[in-house]
Amino acid sequence: MIHTSKYAPHIVVVRPGVERLTAINSKAFKEEVIALIEGGASQLVIDFKEVSFLDSSGLGALTGVLKRIGHRGDLVVCGLNSDVTQMFKICRMDRVFKSYLDVDAAVQAMSESL
Amino acid sequence: MSALTFHMQNQLEAVDPMVLALKSHLQDKVADEVLMRFDICMSEALANLVLHAKTEQKDAPIDLMLDFDGELLIVDVFDPDGTAAFDIRKQARALSDVDVMAESGRGLGLILECADGVEYGPVQNRRCLSLKFQARN
Repeated sequence: MIHTSKYAPHIVVVRPGVERLTAINSKAFKEEVIALIEGGASQLVIDFKEVSFLDSSGLGALTGVLKRIGHRGDLVVCGLNSDVTQMFKICRMDRVFKSYLDVDAAVQAMSESL
Repeated sequence: MSALTFHMQNQLEAVDPMVLALKSHLQDKVADEVLMRFDICMSEALANLVLHAKTEQKDAPIDLMLDFDGELLIVDVFDPDGTAAFDIRKQARALSDVDVMAESGRGLGLILECADGVEYGPVQNRRCLSLKFQARN
């Protein structure tokens, strides 16, 4: 389901691999990203460029991943379209996740913070 | 547009295709922002019904009716036969009361937040969740 790319030695970009991150696939998304974390990844960028919609399950999965990372690393998001951005705002998740325009901006910011 | 009826299998796999089918009848007829809120409400309402409704007849389909007069959009979601009554208006938690780090508990609050009107009650010997949206802001 997910697709990953390494950008810097410690930064992994994750693309969910679905157009809609919803109740049908959010559990698998969470499990696959947590498997990455358990495999050692701790600086994650979730790229939503190809995700047109996410529901509360998708947000819940994202929160679960963030909690799993805890203080060991960081998780940011990028590529949010207007609908996904609005969903983050409605649920106040814009206060939880740092959001960047695209992968390059997210990776640069994350690299500078390491 | 005259009222359209839809039938959905009571399965999680059927939710996204149903929502997209409903939206296909509304493209270019309602504002994008309204369509986004409609998407949220329908995704949450149908997933909640499939995942959490107490029912003795899991195979009973979910019937829907979509009605749009150019200004007011109404979608009715009928509880499948054998389903216990569940009024989301009485069960939903306000989004402001949900811990931002919670992994669940936002769905019903999202429906109340995103729909312009929410009703629930008996319609033609069945129970129905009725969601209303003004087509333009």
